[in-house]
Amino acid sequence: MLVFFWQYVPSVEDTVLGIVVDTKPDNFLVDIKGPNLAFLPVLSFEGGTRRNIPKFEIGTLIYARVVKANSIMNPELSCMDASGKAAEFGQLKSGYTFETSTGLARMLLSSPTCPLLEALGKKLSFEIAVGLNGRVWVNAPSPSNVIVVSSAIKESESYSRLQQKSMVEKLLAKLS
Amino acid sequence: MDQRWRPTVNEREFIEQALQSDLRVDGRRPFDFRKLTISFGREDGSAEVLLGETCVMGYVTAQLVPPYKDRPNEGTLAIFTEFSPMADPAFEPGRPGEAAIELGRVIDRGLRWSPDGCLAVVFLFVRELEVWSLIRIHFWSVRRESRAVDMESLCVVAGKHVWAVRVDLHILDNGGNLTDAANIAALAALSTFRRPECTVGGDDGQQVTVHDPEVMDPLPLTIHHLPIAVTFAYFGDGNIMVIDPTYKEEAVMGGRMTATINSNGDVCAIQKAGGEGVMSSVIMQCLRIASVKAADITSKIKTKVDKYTTEKALQKVKRTPAIVAKEVNVPDVTMKESTHSAMENQTSKAPNDGQQISEGDENHQNTKMISTLTADRTVKHKQTPTSVGGPSNWDPYSKGVSLSSLRISRLPDPPAVANDEKHEDAEPMLTESNPEVKSVSNSGSAGESDEVKESRSPESLVDAVKPKHKRKKKQHGKS
Repeated sequence: MLVFFWQYVPSVEDTVLGIVVDTKPDNFLVDIKGPNLAFLPVLSFEGGTRRNIPKFEIGTLIYARVVKANSIMNPELSCMDASGKAAEFGQLKSGYTFETSTGLARMLLSSPTCPLLEALGKKLSFEIAVGLNGRVWVNAPSPSNVIVVSSAIKESESYSRLQQKSMVEKLLAKLS
Repeated sequence: MDQRWRPTVNEREFIEQALQSDLRVDGRRPFDFRKLTISFGREDGSAEVLLGETCVMGYVTAQLVPPYKDRPNEGTLAIFTEFSPMADPAFEPGRPGEAAIELGRVIDRGLRWSPDGCLAVVFLFVRELEVWSLIRIHFWSVRRESRAVDMESLCVVAGKHVWAVRVDLHILDNGGNLTDAANIAALAALSTFRRPECTVGGDDGQQVTVHDPEVMDPLPLTIHHLPIAVTFAYFGDGNIMVIDPTYKEEAVMGGRMTATINSNGDVCAIQKAGGEGVMSSVIMQCLRIASVKAADITSKIKTKVDKYTTEKALQKVKRTPAIVAKEVNVPDVTMKESTHSAMENQTSKAPNDGQQISEGDENHQNTKMISTLTADRTVKHKQTPTSVGGPSNWDPYSKGVSLSSLRISRLPDPPAVANDEKHEDAEPMLTESNPEVKSVSNSGSAGESDEVKESRSPESLVDAVKPKHKRKKKQHGKS
């Protein structure tokens, strides 16, 4: 079973991956693995007007930014950065998603690049989006690459940086 | 509502796309089962099955009840499923929902129905394809309904008292494919369940006495065969199928089918509740694959159950020290027998030897060198009058360590040195048994006998010295 105790506490300026659950006239209701559903205003897109509201079906994956978050209200998201540009926010198409803990998500986003992603990136070509709420999206031209990357990341939940590197090297050696 | 897991469009598309190239998200091939672990609880009849991430616990109990009116000489078997909310946020506590009831029915049908009942269905498919020989399905034409668990053996007094066996299945973690895991849990629990022994007596022959497990060994159920459920998930247009779907695959699949087959190739049950339509050829292929998988899983269950049963039997034996002496020492005895073939001729002198051995032990006070083997023997002899049952009357050492043969081989004048013989006879046993038995120490009895021996050490110090020389000689003699 997917681990439901990897809960996320929304905080402002976090970048998260959300799943559209419902559409309302003013907002999209988005699940960001927090205690409440988040609202994504239909106009919070670059060049967004009442005329060109995006059509998101239920289950669409969105990369968004948390704009408002407190313990009382539902959090609010936006698919624009502070200056109003799209900046890679919005719908993510194709690829594969899976859940991780928030700690692992932070580790994946650390700079310099974590050894896991570096080692994987040397051998395989893929693109990845990590939400601080513990959701990861991986895409690659071949399905096997996607499966390898996602398995490696899921495996490294409890590994230290050193262990990650050796684990990935072993995995890649097994494949080639 | 907020806490449910929701699949994304991306996952849905990706899982199907990957299956086009025979790839599954967790790295399995389409017809691979996940790792299966079966563990048993302390009580008879409780089993926990881990199939990948899915965890199901099965628990079997039985009680005496009046039988059904239309089946007066058969016991009953009932399956109860509990979908615990800790397994999945979608499970609600309280009355079982649709899925829980369906699961219970599938398992119940597999255990209860005979292959005959499903013959009609299978005939239809086979005739369509005209491929009779491809599928190994046995046609039990003349048999009565053969069920997995024998119901008639559960009858105690016809029409009055029968055993009602109840299987409780608790879903502890939903990682997908609950049917298969729950089925294995039920089978493992039923295989290790022991029902109390009961006797019928009294004035009218209707009084039933149920015996406590401590008094009379409880009995296993009679299980004729193990019906294994194999679940297939369909994707695409019903032409891609995988075995043992995970949680995500179940959320994304188009339909599912469960085939319950035993290792003989008999189809016990087929369940396809809604979902996408599939071709009959696909179903036949699934049955073929399922029978292969069923054989594999049956052997796994049987190995685990056998291992558990032997461990339990050994534990039970160890509880009684008298029997421990016998159990522990028998393998050593047989080893000695193989090295000294002459011993086998000396069975007639066994009882006397036994007595002499024990006396010899009490005199020898090499507390450290005296093996626990001999210590056990003294304890055993002391306990002989009080122990219960057959084994205590038989002295394993009488045959295995026959001193008279050693006497013949080593000493020229047996009658001259009567007392010394006893000591010397005991020694070779010590030498032989020391290396073999040190690892098998029964510390309790050794402690006891050590104390006894220490009190007598002063009188036998001279004797204590002697054995070392004799031991060396004996070893040279042996080699």
